Amino acid sequence: MSVKKGVKSLFTGLEQFFFAEEAPYGLALVRMCLPTVALIPMFRRFFRVRELYSADGCPQQLAELFGNGRLLPELPAEFAAALYGVMLFALICGVFGFRTRLSFLIGAPLYIYFNMLDAIGTMTKYSVIAAHVLLILSISDCGAVWSVDAVLKRRAGGGGLSVLPVRVPVWPARLIQILFAAIYFGAAITKVQTPAFFSGEQMRYWLVSNWNWPNPIGELMALSPAMLMVSGYITVVWEVTFPFLAWRPLGRFAALGMGVAFHVMTIFALGLWIFPFICTTCYLAFLQESDIAAIRAMVAKLRIRWEWLGRPRVMAAMLLERRPVMVPLAGIWLAAGLVVAVGSVEADYRLDVYGIRSNGAPLALPAMDSATVRQMINSQEPLREKDKFFSFDIGSMVMAGQLANRRSQFAAGEAIIAQCNLNPPHEDLWVECVIQDAEDRVIDVAGQFVTRDQLYAKFNYLTAEKLVPGQYWVVLKSSGQEVSRRPFELTGDAVGERGSEGLLAN
Amino acid sequence: MEGRCVMRLRRWGAGLLMGGYLLLLSWGIVGHALKIPAAGNTLGYFVVWDMFCGWQAFDNRTHFIAEDSAGNYYRVQEPWGAFQPFGHVDRVNYDVSNQLAPRHIRNVLAHTDHPPIDRVYVVQEVWPKQFNVPDRLWSNYFHEPKDQQSYFNLRAICAADGSLIESNPDWYVAQGLKSIADNPRLRTQAQGASPFYNTFFNPRMSSESNSSFSTADGGLTN
Repeated sequence: MSVKKGVKSLFTGLEQFFFAEEAPYGLALVRMCLPTVALIPMFRRFFRVRELYSADGCPQQLAELFGNGRLLPELPAEFAAALYGVMLFALICGVFGFRTRLSFLIGAPLYIYFNMLDAIGTMTKYSVIAAHVLLILSISDCGAVWSVDAVLKRRAGGGGLSVLPVRVPVWPARLIQILFAAIYFGAAITKVQTPAFFSGEQMRYWLVSNWNWPNPIGELMALSPAMLMVSGYITVVWEVTFPFLAWRPLGRFAALGMGVAFHVMTIFALGLWIFPFICTTCYLAFLQESDIAAIRAMVAKLRIRWEWLGRPRVMAAMLLERRPVMVPLAGIWLAAGLVVAVGSVEADYRLDVYGIRSNGAPLALPAMDSATVRQMINSQEPLREKDKFFSFDIGSMVMAGQLANRRSQFAAGEAIIAQCNLNPPHEDLWVECVIQDAEDRVIDVAGQFVTRDQLYAKFNYLTAEKLVPGQYWVVLKSSGQEVSRRPFELTGDAVGERGSEGLLAN
Repeated sequence: MEGRCVMRLRRWGAGLLMGGYLLLLSWGIVGHALKIPAAGNTLGYFVVWDMFCGWQAFDNRTHFIAEDSAGNYYRVQEPWGAFQPFGHVDRVNYDVSNQLAPRHIRNVLAHTDHPPIDRVYVVQEVWPKQFNVPDRLWSNYFHEPKDQQSYFNLRAICAADGSLIESNPDWYVAQGLKSIADNPRLRTQAQGASPFYNTFFNPRMSSESNSSFSTADGGLTN
């Protein structure tokens, strides 16, 4: 009996979770913000449709990367330009909520099509996220509020502006929420499967990669191993706990707040601009009716005027109402889409991406200096010893097996930790750490094999055993060649008179 | 009554849709976690969340160099301006597996003016990533002068239509192979273990004729 009750309560809970009815304000916000962000990179590519997405260019389909051949048709440039224009138009209509469902039903598949056509320069994981959400929006009632459709419906119904908003089941918003829980959980699994993530190495290489937009803070962070390790652990903990916190009354503020902070940090640390905004705009799906009521109350309290935000959709609705009665709204949409398609073909012609018309002939290939080319083609340059190492540092604190601080002054008696970080791939190496005094006299030498799988190697030196206060160098050698050296000063009084062997160990 | 029926149908439809979608998301996560090949395909890309799947220690750029019959060289780069999709790096450099290379060569050569091209060299340029650090940070952190050196690796030679004539290992793979081949013991063993095709012993024929050949030497003929 109790099992039956439990099952019934589970189903009731699930039904309540997915089919509770609310005004879809959160979804409407996603509808307005997400396509706007997703359109930014797509607008940039409008000038290159012929080159990136047509048979007259060099698209690289996603399916080809997976060995599945060319799944999608590559259209002549004029057709590709027309469809691209229709995609932009449809998504813009989606933003304003004009024939919302039709807009997303046309815009979302075209968005996916064009992304899949160019797996190199268009398709990324943010386009995948956007594709998921656009498809969910196309089957949702996101246009039921704050849209041209809603204004038209309200005015057609003869109701005033005080009409209560439509209430619909919340499951489309739930799907977006679950999508994000899955994304973060999956991303955490990826990181867990990458051991060098937790020691900060992979993160460091990412931060000094110049594949995205400038990332000045990332470059600074790359040189702070402790910060990388701490932020790596925090990220994974947040990603794993997200699904367990996102639907808790207070937990969701923590999960989403951390998410916003994380994504904003990726702008400055990794130079990502679209990805963070794609994700944070989707967080709007977590807003409930009560949140909107609270925001409205706060805005009213602060006497902020925001009615003007609704003016474009009201004006658009008023304009549409002036159409001849016999012309349906979908007809207006299709006619406008057709105009955009023709305009796009014309734009593609005038843009003349290959410069053949404007130049009167194809542009010439730039010539190259023969000596430079021969050097590039015939180069057999072996890797320099110093290029096998990323960095060499001395300090005194270890965190997660790695040197966590950098110092150049030590008190007599303290232990010095020297660490070199290696750039994979490298062969098995014999690495030495040499202590020299200010006159370059060798005081101690220690060496160790560093195998090809190792990303770092450490040497510990006990200053109390041999050194007196003064200036010294720690020199890193690989295969007998000096790679790097770090100065340090030993301060305080010498510790005892031992005269024992040096204690440079690894 | 009819309205209620429609509503129930819509709810069932929504339930099925949600169930399917959640199954798809779960398949992506489980497939990725357990590294099931079924998740490593075109559809899998849409449900596998492998952001941050590893970055290399060396930065990488690809150069395309065309050679005409007179021995002159040309840079096979879009003279109308290369598209830079995600920052300040040309699109072709994001093609880590060089799958775009043939199409890139074909497209640039098809839309530019040049003498007949004999071959196109695909050259990989590589340098350690620490040299990407700005000079200001370099002087604060590194004590050595910033003398960046690039390493070049002839990745492939293609015809003017982009078809492959010769292919060499990627620089990273080549480095890995070199580091393994650098072991004299392995080199000796590899030289001593020349593969050959055994024409004396065939297990199927041996089994069919019920020969005692295989048992005579314990099946260790090869």
